Amino acid sequence: MSQLLQIENFTLGFPGRPPLLESVSLHVNDGEAVALVGESGSGKSLTTRAALGLFPGGSESSGLVSVQGLDTLTASKQRLMELRRRHASMIFQDPRAGINPVRTVGDFLTETLLRFDGLSRAEATERAVKQLEQVGLRRAGELMDQHPHQLSGGMLQRVMIAAALLNSPDLLLCDEPTTALDVTTQAGIVKLLREQQQSRGMGMLFITHDLNLAASLCERVYVLRRGEVVEHGPTRAVFLTPEQDYTRQLVEATPVIETGAGSASHAAPGLDPAPLLKVSGLSKTYHLPRGGMVTALDGAEFSLPEGGSLGIVGESGSGKSTLARLVVALETATAGELTLRDVPRPRRPLKASERKALAKDVQIVFQDPYLSLDPRIPVGNAVADVFRLHQKQGRKEAKDSARNLLGRVGIGPERFDALPRALSGGQRQRVALAKALAARPRLLVLDEATSALDVSVQAQVLELVEELRDQLGLTILFVTHDLAVVSRLCSEILVMHQGRIVEQGPTARILEDPGDDYTRNLIASRPRPLWDAEPVTA
Amino acid sequence: MTLAIQLPQAGLRRYGNLLSPMAWGALAVAAVVVFLSLFAPVLAPYDPDYVDLNNVLAGPGAQHLLGTDALGRDLLSRLMHGGRTSLLGPTIVVIGSTVLGLLLGLVAGWSEGWLGKVLGRLFDLLFAFPALLMAMLAIALFGKGLFAPILAMTIAYVPYVARLAQSLVVAERSRPYVQAYRVLGFRTPWVVLGRVLPNLIPTVGAQSTLNFGYVLADLAALSFIGLGVQPPTSDWGAMIEESRGALLGGYILPAFWPALVVVLVVVAVNVIGEELSDRIGGKLS
Repeated sequence: MSQLLQIENFTLGFPGRPPLLESVSLHVNDGEAVALVGESGSGKSLTTRAALGLFPGGSESSGLVSVQGLDTLTASKQRLMELRRRHASMIFQDPRAGINPVRTVGDFLTETLLRFDGLSRAEATERAVKQLEQVGLRRAGELMDQHPHQLSGGMLQRVMIAAALLNSPDLLLCDEPTTALDVTTQAGIVKLLREQQQSRGMGMLFITHDLNLAASLCERVYVLRRGEVVEHGPTRAVFLTPEQDYTRQLVEATPVIETGAGSASHAAPGLDPAPLLKVSGLSKTYHLPRGGMVTALDGAEFSLPEGGSLGIVGESGSGKSTLARLVVALETATAGELTLRDVPRPRRPLKASERKALAKDVQIVFQDPYLSLDPRIPVGNAVADVFRLHQKQGRKEAKDSARNLLGRVGIGPERFDALPRALSGGQRQRVALAKALAARPRLLVLDEATSALDVSVQAQVLELVEELRDQLGLTILFVTHDLAVVSRLCSEILVMHQGRIVEQGPTARILEDPGDDYTRNLIASRPRPLWDAEPVTA
Repeated sequence: MTLAIQLPQAGLRRYGNLLSPMAWGALAVAAVVVFLSLFAPVLAPYDPDYVDLNNVLAGPGAQHLLGTDALGRDLLSRLMHGGRTSLLGPTIVVIGSTVLGLLLGLVAGWSEGWLGKVLGRLFDLLFAFPALLMAMLAIALFGKGLFAPILAMTIAYVPYVARLAQSLVVAERSRPYVQAYRVLGFRTPWVVLGRVLPNLIPTVGAQSTLNFGYVLADLAALSFIGLGVQPPTSDWGAMIEESRGALLGGYILPAFWPALVVVLVVVAVNVIGEELSDRIGGKLS
């Protein structure tokens, strides 16, 4: 077996600053699938880009990065272009960012064939169509005349894969190609990549933050942390018997479906028979600007007892976020009833006084830690403002309360005057949590609140939520696409698909014995390691 | 990983230490001009209106640093005093259009219903009128002088600020942090004026800085065609106009100096404005 990609002692950094990559050594053999895992900022993408001779401007690098014997650190522009065109291709996370939105799929695919390979238009079209069929796209001929916006994310990623495979590369570099996709779509893409890699005997370097995904696709794995390879070896050995503490932490932090943990009900049955939140026949329809309607939520029906925890699981477009926004009154329902603490929700925008009263019943934490805090307001003041509004506290008292609460969510007093941009993603979500809790709500809605975080940070934030729930007797409504996260936190779940609730019940029952086809598909789509039918367990 | 978009950081002073040498130069030019104009009564070597017919159209020299005009008035003194009116006009216009534009933009951006749409169309309508034309219209109504053009220019420049503010507010309104304020029960005026408005200031400030240069040039043009400031008040545009005769006679300097100052100030202000908006744009991407 020859070494297709060889990286030896590769160091990269900007002058006068600590290196971003330090002595990274990594190799990919012909026909081998290798995973590169690590959290954000670990240098995964930098390493992969170096294989194509793409280095950040102004950076300095040393060591060896060679693809089929071509050293990309020293190769001429011409040789690098030749390399990118013939021998190595790359697939990125966001397919929409990589395609010109005003040109057709056909233009996109045939461009290089026409320009560099001297093919006639008919030949190029034929080859592109064949390639589209190979990546599992039906009616490839029609697709050639369509524009990117007419395709779903999954289809578009297949188009990008087709483009990457057009010149039969020897090395395929994949930079989180499924991270932006739904789990059922991801399953299809992963299967396709595996098939193509094996049938073509391509070498593949697959970057991901998801250990389960790495295990489902690759025989070998490298674990990268802060620009250094901390561990490498066969995927099974590295994940099942990790030698390094960091790898062990990663494996432990990776959420797995737990059928036992979440099933213990946190509700105190009998004490409070009236549900805290009751929803019946709740629907939301949007009018499109050019006529027509979209039903985002169709007749939702459920109730949530005080102290309970309900997970709402679904893929994008399932209506789960609409439901969350209806609960916190950021949207107004088109039909149906929503009752929170025996107060029926009016079907009109709330008045200021109603909203203020509602704030003490329900709060929400959003997904994006970078956008959910006001960039200009120091985090301590942001929390203190809420205390002043809702607990009628004076300036000083509110600051003390804020300091206490922030301490409780793990933000020390030294960060009280910090601006959000000085905090990490995990810290920002903690602040967002504190802000929501300062209103002392009964019900806390978490709208994908941990989805944007690294796994180890996600694990910590989930732990915090659990802790706070038990201490404060919070009722939790957790909206997410991740079954594993829900199984850990929620005793009941509710599966949504295309605006409808397809299944609801105790977490353990639904995960072990799903009654609906879609639920079954959702569970089956979770990546499974190559050596086992079960996801990686710690 | 999720793409992180950084919100613009508020507070112009944060960009201070990041300015390029070019922008520092522009800032220095602007500062010198403002300083000399502001303290003209103290610093100017002569009375700007003192006519000395024995010393007509003198070249630069020890007595008159920049020379004299056709009536023997000291050009440097006139430039310094002229700066007071020439800079005052744009300052009022920029402050007026920024305040009005921000308010209208906030209202237009925040209201999801018909009000936002109507205001948006109104801004479009105003955009269609050239500022100079509006100013001439106002002069026809209110007479020559500083008041009419300033009023007209203020209105003409409102949509530049309002459109920008509106689009920023629309973007800001859907951001999770603003929605969190709503869910937390904060009142809308508090959120809009206390929290959203300050986040718009850097971007709008950059736009208004650019506007300053355009207004200065527009007002100078009005004075040049005799519709602005009336003699004997000195003003850069008026100075160029008064020097037309001398210019035809071959004496360039009396028209050259005010023209140079106008160009310098407009370029300086543009450089600063571009720099600011680049900085803010850079932070956005």
